[in-house]
Amino acid sequence: MGDILAFTLVWILVSALGEIGIQSLIHHGVYYYTATTQALDGEAAFAFIITVLTPVFAFIVVMIGYDMIRFRSREPGMRPSPRQFYNNKVFVSIWILVSIALNLLFFVHPTASAVEQMFNSEKERYNRHDLIINVTARQWQWLFDYPQYNITQAQDANGNSILYLPVDRTVRFVLRSYDPMHMYDPYAGVIHSFWIPAFGVKQDIIPGETRYMYVHTNKVTSYNVDPMVRVQCAEVCGPGHPFMEAPVHVVSNVDFMNWIKQQQKLQAGQS
Amino acid sequence: MSKTVDSEGRFHRDTDWQPGVFFGVLALVLLIGVAVLFGRFWIAGIFQKAFDRVPTQGTVHVFQFDYAYEPRHITWRVGDRVTIALRNMSDTHWHEMVIGRGYDTVPSAFGAIATQFKTDFWDGVPVRISNAHHVDNLVLNKARATFVGSKPNLATGGDFSPTLQPGGSINLTFTVPNKPGEWQYGCFVQQYMHYVAGMNGTITILPAK
Amino acid sequence: MSSVVSDMHGARSEHARVKRMLPPVVRGLLWALIGFLVMNTLVSEVFDRMPYHPFITRASVTLGWVAAVGGWILGVGAWEGAVKPYLGYPEEWVVPQDWRKYFMYSTDHKVIGLQYIFSSLGGFLIAGFAAMLMRLELMKGQMWIFNNPGAYLSTVGVHGTVMMFSVGTVALVGGFGNYFIPLMIGANSTSFPRMSGVSQWLVPAGIATVVISPVLGQWTTGWRGYEPLAGQDPAGILFYYLGVFALTTSSLLVAINLTATILFKRAPGLTWNRIPMYAWGILAVSLLNLIWLPEIQMTFVMALLNAVIPLPYFAQIGSPLTYMEMFWLFGHPEVYIIVVPAFALWQEILPVMGQKSLFARQWGIIGLVFVMILSGLVWAHHMFTNMRNSQMLPFSFFTEMISIPTGFAYLVSLGTMWRANLKLNTPTLYTLMSMFNFLIGGVTGVLLADPVVNLQVHDSFFVVAHFHYTVIGAMVFSWFAAFFYWFPKLSGRMYNEFWGKVGAIWVFIAFNMTFGQFFFLGLHGMNRWVPVYPSYLEPMNFEVSLFAFLLGLGFVFNFLHIAWMWNKGPVAKDNPWQAKTLEWQTASPPGEQNFDPIPKVISGFYDYRDQRLPIRNSPQKEPTS
Ligand code: HEM
Ligand SMILES: [Cu+2]
Ligand SMILES: [Cu+2]
Ligand SMILES: [Cu+2]
Repeated sequence: MGDILAFTLVWILVSALGEIGIQSLIHHGVYYYTATTQALDGEAAFAFIITVLTPVFAFIVVMIGYDMIRFRSREPGMRPSPRQFYNNKVFVSIWILVSIALNLLFFVHPTASAVEQMFNSEKERYNRHDLIINVTARQWQWLFDYPQYNITQAQDANGNSILYLPVDRTVRFVLRSYDPMHMYDPYAGVIHSFWIPAFGVKQDIIPGETRYMYVHTNKVTSYNVDPMVRVQCAEVCGPGHPFMEAPVHVVSNVDFMNWIKQQQKLQAGQS
Repeated sequence: MSKTVDSEGRFHRDTDWQPGVFFGVLALVLLIGVAVLFGRFWIAGIFQKAFDRVPTQGTVHVFQFDYAYEPRHITWRVGDRVTIALRNMSDTHWHEMVIGRGYDTVPSAFGAIATQFKTDFWDGVPVRISNAHHVDNLVLNKARATFVGSKPNLATGGDFSPTLQPGGSINLTFTVPNKPGEWQYGCFVQQYMHYVAGMNGTITILPAK
Repeated sequence: MSSVVSDMHGARSEHARVKRMLPPVVRGLLWALIGFLVMNTLVSEVFDRMPYHPFITRASVTLGWVAAVGGWILGVGAWEGAVKPYLGYPEEWVVPQDWRKYFMYSTDHKVIGLQYIFSSLGGFLIAGFAAMLMRLELMKGQMWIFNNPGAYLSTVGVHGTVMMFSVGTVALVGGFGNYFIPLMIGANSTSFPRMSGVSQWLVPAGIATVVISPVLGQWTTGWRGYEPLAGQDPAGILFYYLGVFALTTSSLLVAINLTATILFKRAPGLTWNRIPMYAWGILAVSLLNLIWLPEIQMTFVMALLNAVIPLPYFAQIGSPLTYMEMFWLFGHPEVYIIVVPAFALWQEILPVMGQKSLFARQWGIIGLVFVMILSGLVWAHHMFTNMRNSQMLPFSFFTEMISIPTGFAYLVSLGTMWRANLKLNTPTLYTLMSMFNFLIGGVTGVLLADPVVNLQVHDSFFVVAHFHYTVIGAMVFSWFAAFFYWFPKLSGRMYNEFWGKVGAIWVFIAFNMTFGQFFFLGLHGMNRWVPVYPSYLEPMNFEVSLFAFLLGLGFVFNFLHIAWMWNKGPVAKDNPWQAKTLEWQTASPPGEQNFDPIPKVISGFYDYRDQRLPIRNSPQKEPTS
C-alpha cells in the first residue's frame, strides 16, 4: 500500500510539472507559425491530445522509474523476488477500461470533430466568394493560375512562380499534376504534395485526378515575415523535389487587387 | 560423378577450404564494390584522360539517359567535319543538349540556379540538321541551320537546343568552328533540374593542326 | 556430421590427391559472376538485341541478376547441400567445426541464426554509414557532400531499404528467432533446415543488390520504391525491387520454417499454454510475414514489369495510387513485424531480471495477437493526404484502437516489474529504454492518427522522428537488450557490465537528442527527402547532425564491446540469470545437439515463486568446447 501511495504522489507531481511544461509549449505554439484557421484547428487538436496524454505518459515513465529505483536488486546474484503475483484484476480492468475510454474520447474529439469542421469548410454554402486558384504541379515547378482574374502562371520579376492571397478569405486550391508543356508524355505526371507549412494542411496531388484544398487566411504575412509561409512540395517527386518551392504572400484586399492588376498588365504585355 | 565417395568412404573433394583465399577475394570484391559505388565517375575520368586525347572524327553518338549523357566527354579538333548523333534513350523524359560556357542564373530560395549557358557554342555555326525524329522542339538561336528531311518543330528562346522526346533522335553535322578550349554540354529542361541532377558533360576542342 | 569431420582430418594428409575446394563464398561469387555475364549477354546481345543499346539494358540486367543470385546460392553450398541430395546423390557437404562454418551453407539452426545476425549487422552498419552521410549533407542547407540531389535521394533510399528489409524485418526474426526458437521450445532443429540454410544467403545478396543500385542510375523514390515516380526513375530502381525481392523471399522462408517449427517441434509437455512469449511473438510475426510478404512481392513484380517494359500501370493513364495502397497494405503490418518481437522480448527479459512471475501473461499474448490482426486494418493512415475523405474516419478509428493491444505489452511489463527484485544490468536497462522510446513513438503515433494533425506533419521530419522512435527506439534497443541478455548463451562468456551500461546510456542520450529534435524540425517546416532546405532550419540541423554522429559512434562502441567480450570475456555459467525458459536449461553455448535427451516440460516458464525447474530429467550437460 505504501508503494502505491508513494507512486501515486510522484505520478501526480510529475504530471503536474509535465502539464506546466506542455502548456508553455502550447502557449508558444506547437505549430511555430500559423496563418490560417485550418492551422489553428490542427494546432488545437494537437494541443488537446498532448494535454490529455501527459498524465498517461507520466504514469508509464514514473512507473518505469519507480520500479527501477524502488525494486532494484541490491545483491550480486539472482534471487527470486519474495513478492510474487500473477495478476491483479483491479489494475488490469482499470488499465483496459481507461485505454478504451481514452481512445474513444480521442476518436470523438478531436478526430471526428475536427474532421467535421474541415469537411464543413469545404461545403458549398460557406463558399460563395471563394478565391479559386488552379495549382498545377509539374516536375519541378508550381504553376498558379487565377481563373477569376484571367491570370495564368503568376510570376515575380525573375520569372519564378509566386502565390498571392488576400487575407480573411476562403481560398479553394484546385490541384492537378501534369505537365502542360508536354501533354504527350503520360509518365511526366507524378505525385506531388501541396504544402504550405504555415497553413497547417497539405494535400497530395495525384496525376489524373483533380483534388481540392481549402484554407481560410487569417493574417497578413509573407515568406519574408516567416519562411514557413511558402509552398513546399512534400512528396518526393524526383531529383528536383527539394527545389519545388514558391514564396507565398498573404496581403490586404487592396494590395491583392493591386497585385492582380499588375499581373494582368504583365500578361497583356507578354502576349 | 555418380559416385562421390570412393571405395574407402572418403570424399572426392576436400571441404577444408583456405581462409587466405576467402579473405583475399572478399577484400577484393568489397574494394571493387566501394570503388564502383563512390568512384566510378572519377575512375572513368582518369581513363578518359589517359586514352581519349585523340579527337573524335566523323559521327559521335551522344546518348541521353535519365539524368546523364553517355559519353560524358568528347574531344574534337577545329576544322574537322563531325556529326553529333543525339539519341534520347529514356522511355519517360524529354532531354536537350545545349553546348556553351559560363552560366545565366536565376535566384531562388536555395541560391542561384543555372538556367542555361552564357555563351552559346553554336553562335554563327553552320549546321546541317538531319534524321530528326520525335523532336520535342528545336531552338536555333544564332546557329545557321540547313535541314535535310523532315523539319522539326522550331521554337524560340534561349541557346541553340534540340529537345528530344523519349526515343527521339537528331543528327547535327558541322565543321568544328574555330572556338578551341573547354566547352560544356548540358540539359536544362524541367525547370533546370536535369542540369542540377547531373546531366552534363565536357568537350575539349583542340586547335587546328 | 561431426564424426565425418574427424575422419577427414586424419585422411587429408595421406590423400593429397583430394582436391581442395574453393571457399564457398568465393565460389558463390564466381558462379554469380558467370551467371550474370552469360544471362546478360544472351538477353542484351542475342534475344533482345536493339540498335544502339548498351551492353547492360533494363531487361538484361534483370534476368542477369536472377541468374547471378542462382549462381550465388548454389555456389555457397546449395548445390551440394540441397540440390544434389534432392536429386538422389549422397550428401557431400561437410562443415568444418571452426569459424568457417559461418561462411558457408549450413543446416544447423544456431549457425544459421548467427549468420542472419551477422548479415543484419552488416546491413545495419552499411545503412548506418549511409545515414551518417545524409546527416553530414544536412549540416548545411546547400549541397556540399553530395554532387547532386539524385545521389542524396538514392542514399536515403538505400538507408531506408536496407534498414527495413535487412535489419528491422530480419534481426529479431531470422537472427535471434532462428537461433532461439528451437532452443526455447525444446527442439534440436527447425522443421526445414535445408530451406533455412539456403534462405539466409539471400540476405547478403539482397543487401549487395540494393547498395550497388545507384551504379545503374540514381533512383529517387526512397524505401517505398513508389509508383508512379518509380516508373520514370533511372534504372537503379530495378535493383531496389530485385534486392528487396531477395530480402523478402528470405523472410518469407524464415516465416514458413519458424511457424512450422513452433507448431510441430515443441518438446513433450510444451502445451499451447506454456509457449514462451518470444515464441508467441515470432509466431505472430511469422503469420504477418506469411500473409503480407507475398502481397508486396506481387506488387514489386508488377512495378518491375512497369519499369522494364515499360508499362503504364501506375502512370496518369493508369492507376497512380494503386501502388501506394498495395505498398502500405503490406507496409503497416511490416512495422509490426519489426516491433512485435521487441514487445515479446520485454516480456521475456523482465520476469527473468526481476525474478518475478510474468504478470497477466494472457493479456500479453492477447496483445501480440490483436496487434497482429489489427495491423492489417490501418494501412491507409499512411495516406491521409491523398485518400478519399470517406476513408479518413475508419482508418483513424482503427489506428487509434491499435494502441489498446499495444498497451498490453506495457501492462504486462510494468506489472511484472512491480515489487520485483529487479537486476539493473545492461539488458534490463536496454529493455526499459526501449519501453521509454516506444512510448514516445506511441504518443506521437496517436497524434499522427488524427487526420487534421496528420495533414500538417505527414511527410515532414515529424514523421521521420516518429518512425525512428519505433524502429530504433523500440526495435534496435530491444535488439541490443537481446544481444546482452543472450550474450552468455551465444558466446559462453560474459560481457562487461560497466561498459555495457556506458554503451546503453550513451546511445540512449544520443538517440533522444537526435530524434527528439526531429519532431521540432518537422513542426517547423522541414520536409522529407531534401538535401537542400531553407536556411532558417540550418542551425538546428547542424546541431542534430552532431548528435547523430555521436549516436553512430555509440553503436560502433557497443558492437566493439560485444565483439571484444565475445572472444575475451570471462567464461559464463550455463544459466547466469537463473532463468526458467528452456534455452537456459542446456550448455552455454549449446553443443551440436541442443538437448540430449529432449526434455519433458512439466510447468510454465514464468513462475518464479520457487527455484524448481520447469522440466523433468534435466538434460546432461555437454562440456563447452
Ligand atoms: C543510426 C542512426 C540513424 C540515423 C541518424 C537516421 C537518419 C535518417 C534520416 C536523416 C533519414 C531521412 C529522412 C528523410 O529525409 O526522409 C532517414 C530515413 C529513414 N530511416 Fe533512418 N536513421 C538511422 C537509423 C535507422 C534505422 C535503425 C532504421 C530502421 C531499422 C531506419 C529507417 C529509416 C527509414 C525507413 C527511412 C525512410 C527512408 C525513405 O524515406 O525512404 N533508420 N533516417
Ligand atoms: Cu513535387
Ligand atoms: Cu516533391
Ligand atoms: Cu535531360
